[in-house]
Amino acid sequence: MDIFTLVFLVIAVVLAIVSFVKDRKKTLSAVKKSRKMMGSMLSEIIAIIFLIGLILAFLPPELIREFLGSSNTLLSTLLAALAGSITLIPAFVAFPLIGSLVDAGASIVPAVAFLTTLTMVGIVTFPLEKKEFGTRFALARNLSSLFFAIVIALTMGVIL
Amino acid sequence: MKANKDNVISLLKKHKLLLIVSLAYLILVLVAPDRAREAFSGSLYYLVEMLQVLPIIFLLTIVIEALVPKELIVKGLGEKSGIWGYALALLLGSISAGPVYAAFPLTKMLHKKGASIANVVVILSAWAVIKIPMLANEAKFLGVNFMILRWILTVISIFLMAFLMGKIIRPSDLPIEPENTAVVINPNTCIGCEVCLDSTADLIAMIDHKAMLTRQPIGPIEIDSLRQSSEKCPVHAIHLPEIPSHRVPKIDMPDQTIETS
Repeated sequence: MDIFTLVFLVIAVVLAIVSFVKDRKKTLSAVKKSRKMMGSMLSEIIAIIFLIGLILAFLPPELIREFLGSSNTLLSTLLAALAGSITLIPAFVAFPLIGSLVDAGASIVPAVAFLTTLTMVGIVTFPLEKKEFGTRFALARNLSSLFFAIVIALTMGVIL
Repeated sequence: MKANKDNVISLLKKHKLLLIVSLAYLILVLVAPDRAREAFSGSLYYLVEMLQVLPIIFLLTIVIEALVPKELIVKGLGEKSGIWGYALALLLGSISAGPVYAAFPLTKMLHKKGASIANVVVILSAWAVIKIPMLANEAKFLGVNFMILRWILTVISIFLMAFLMGKIIRPSDLPIEPENTAVVINPNTCIGCEVCLDSTADLIAMIDHKAMLTRQPIGPIEIDSLRQSSEKCPVHAIHLPEIPSHRVPKIDMPDQTIETS
């Protein structure tokens, strides 16, 4: 567990204890509510986690690297945005990967498109988002994130 | 027998995604066991991540529900919170930990307690993209200028997106949790005047001179009749929690939202 997560855990535990001391009844009813909420999500979260593994087995970082390094910038930007939308790669893998590509002379436009969609657009987590916020919300958020990811990428390509 | 069958179907529906993924693994084990093993071990990292983050999210949702007053959330993140609401949402999303799916239950809880759609979008997006450990990592591998420029552009995009989403999405587009539709009649305040029976005779029965709900309302018509009773009730004993008029559950009604899939 990294230090950041640990700090959050400590804060959350302390706040929960404060809440319990302050209003026991209310806290217990909140526990019930949260348990129900998390319980209804758990099956989907576990499914999503194993789905990520499945996707990574077929779309490994090395393959993504090939997409991003292609000489056709427009095509590789679209492919990169798509790859970023489908996969979920931890930051400590993604940044060195992209860094090595950019160092090797690849265009930064697809690199940025990939980095931004990687976290902002989630096709894998879509079912969960849909469940919590509805289809319209999930669709609008993911599509507009995809659009802005490409805008950010193009803008960075112009500036840098 | 029928109830049993319904149970099985609802269970299958509930775990639909898990079922599909399990099936995919099963097929993969048979066809390409090496790939299956690779996929499985690749998932373990995310499993560990989830096990670390979910307890935190669980505790935080409890704290927000029980400790943070609704007025505070409405004031800080509500429809009228303006530019400070955006700033607060950005800050909250940025100091988060864990993957974005962990943010769904938290932001849902905030929305239930009064945070606006736009601010929910800001929190979710900032949660996804802006994280201090991630920024440090980015600066290390791609340079400080790269990181700062991407951060600025991302923040601008997040605000634009949130503004647009706030305009496009109505609160009624969000699903309603069944628990929110529970109607309660407070027996301590009911004076047994029977006024509520005028509009809701089939849902309310008088027992011991107190109005009692015979069952929960089904569909918009029954909910509406209960709302009328609730408004007529001289002592306001009938509570329809968290179902404002624009969020009456759409049961057996054609879906009117236009989807751009």
